[in-house]
Amino acid sequence: MPAGPGWGPPLPPPPPKDDIITGVFRAHWMIIPLQIIAVTLVFVALIGPILVMFGFAWVLFMALAVLFGSFAYALPSWWYGTFGLREDHLVVHTGLVLRSAREIPLSRLQAVDVVQPLLMQVFGMAELRVELAGGDGSAIRLRCLPKDVAERMRAAVLAHAAGLPGRAPQAPEWPFYRLPFPLLLGALTFRVPILVSFILLLMLATAFVVFLEPGVLGAVVPLALGLLRYYWGPLARYTDFYASLSSDGLRLRYGMFQRRMQTVPPGRVQAVRIVEPMLWRALGVARVEATVAGYAGARQGDSADLLPVAPRSKAFTLVNEVFPGSDAAMVPLVADRTRSVGAAGVDERLFVSVRGVFCRVTEIVPVERMQTLRLSAGPIARLRGRVTVDVDTPPGPVAARASDRGAVEGRRFLDALADAGRRARVPSAGTERWATRATMHVETGQGKHPVEEAEVSPGDTPET
Amino acid sequence: METSESTPETETESETGSTSVERPLDAAFAAPEGLLWRRIPPALAWYRRLVTTAGCLAAGVGGGVLLLMWGRPLWAGAWAALALVVAAGTWFLAGRFQRSWGYTEAPAELYLTYGVFVRQLVVVPYGRMQVVDVTTDLLEQALGIATVRVRTAASTADARVVGLPLADAVKLRDRLAARSESFSTGL
Repeated sequence: MPAGPGWGPPLPPPPPKDDIITGVFRAHWMIIPLQIIAVTLVFVALIGPILVMFGFAWVLFMALAVLFGSFAYALPSWWYGTFGLREDHLVVHTGLVLRSAREIPLSRLQAVDVVQPLLMQVFGMAELRVELAGGDGSAIRLRCLPKDVAERMRAAVLAHAAGLPGRAPQAPEWPFYRLPFPLLLGALTFRVPILVSFILLLMLATAFVVFLEPGVLGAVVPLALGLLRYYWGPLARYTDFYASLSSDGLRLRYGMFQRRMQTVPPGRVQAVRIVEPMLWRALGVARVEATVAGYAGARQGDSADLLPVAPRSKAFTLVNEVFPGSDAAMVPLVADRTRSVGAAGVDERLFVSVRGVFCRVTEIVPVERMQTLRLSAGPIARLRGRVTVDVDTPPGPVAARASDRGAVEGRRFLDALADAGRRARVPSAGTERWATRATMHVETGQGKHPVEEAEVSPGDTPET
Repeated sequence: METSESTPETETESETGSTSVERPLDAAFAAPEGLLWRRIPPALAWYRRLVTTAGCLAAGVGGGVLLLMWGRPLWAGAWAALALVVAAGTWFLAGRFQRSWGYTEAPAELYLTYGVFVRQLVVVPYGRMQVVDVTTDLLEQALGIATVRVRTAASTADARVVGLPLADAVKLRDRLAARSESFSTGL
């Protein structure tokens, strides 16, 4: 790439505020003092004790040298680390010594997140993450942006991905679900592993107090760490959870210490599963997790939840919104040959499988999103004349399968799935530039429920 | 079917699909309606035999010599016999494995079947193929065979056709690549 904007040293100053789609942007200037302070503090903490042997003046001089050195590095790398939109590509320049320029076709993006960790909230900054389908290394992370730049960039990126001009206003949204804090707290507590851990912890604490036996602490520490990870973690993360629907996809806002705003455009959800732990079924609540091609690797666990806790009916409503034109609850299910709850079914839009005696998992894959189908029979299954049909989707929490089927039934299942997939995968059903495609247009229009339509003010039409 | 006629290839063996009256399990793993499995030439069996025999030979001789040096001739003999049994077993299984392989190109999907212990039937829609590549290692080159591997966005499925003659493999790759283009519907 020889001559693109941003390669030559003199860069134009950022244009006036209202024009996000032309011009070049860079991170918040506060990143420079923050970087300098961080580097200097680390230097003083690590090397300082050694330098004190030579005298206090040395520490001061060396710290000053590091201060100016890091300033000399941070200032140009901030100045040259730019990004901007060029037509419907996002162009990101990074690096000072090893320059790199990435150009991202926005029609391929899988999800857009705006993340605000606690420190960034204090300084009014945010991080913009653009997820692509390429896996762990392919996400674009624009760190430490001014908050309004991040917000407007998000809207422009989504507009470009939808095929609209970048100046299109942010799509209107309909409120879908607000998670009340008591429900989150109650549901997170009301699970068998958490309750057992709490009781064990209390028993151990009592034993410690009564017998003053310090060995008890050896069991307390792993228990407390587990609770921190599986109880406090989701509690802090999903506080103030709010989901809304808009024409550019599902928007999720949540977080206590780390504010996140996630946007999953239409057609990007590859598969969904509804998880109902044993005690939650008594409460009638469920969790909805999704496979999105962009959320790979370590971020999969962070971002997979579409609804952390919601009433069961709400969960199914969301699934129907995510896969418009279909109804997951209406798919006819066929029980498997074992006498448990396992069942699976397919209609012309969805493949649905249910499994799990204690923790019930309902997995839903739209037939046009199936990657490969596999029919398999191991040695024992062959003796019993059973086969398993696997429906493969991109890596994620969902692994849908119809297990323990009779041989003939299994093959019929496979053929039905292949047939439904063939009919659903017409070339016009692609998900790129969704706002300008007639098929998506009609489907998103149909998918809206009359209840949500009623709450929209007259001016907010879904698509322009 | 347009696909089966357009490619006049040497087929070592083919069997009828779901028409014959067989055990239900065999019917479940039959080729799709109106198509036959294309079978793989026996070079694949020889490839596997050479690899496993070389492995067993190395393990048997190495372990045997080590045990002899340790002063356990009885154990050394037992070890060598075990290696021989394993080699014989895999020699026999290699033929069954080669015969278990089959692929066929339906109008909109690629069908694969393989497996001796775990029988598998894999359906890969052409529109879902992201990468199609041909690989051949040194021994495969000597035997004149190659592997066509198909990658989809789902990393769990390992869809490949092994042991094809090199020319057929290249032709299959070109056909699959062309179809994946024309059937493509994004991710």
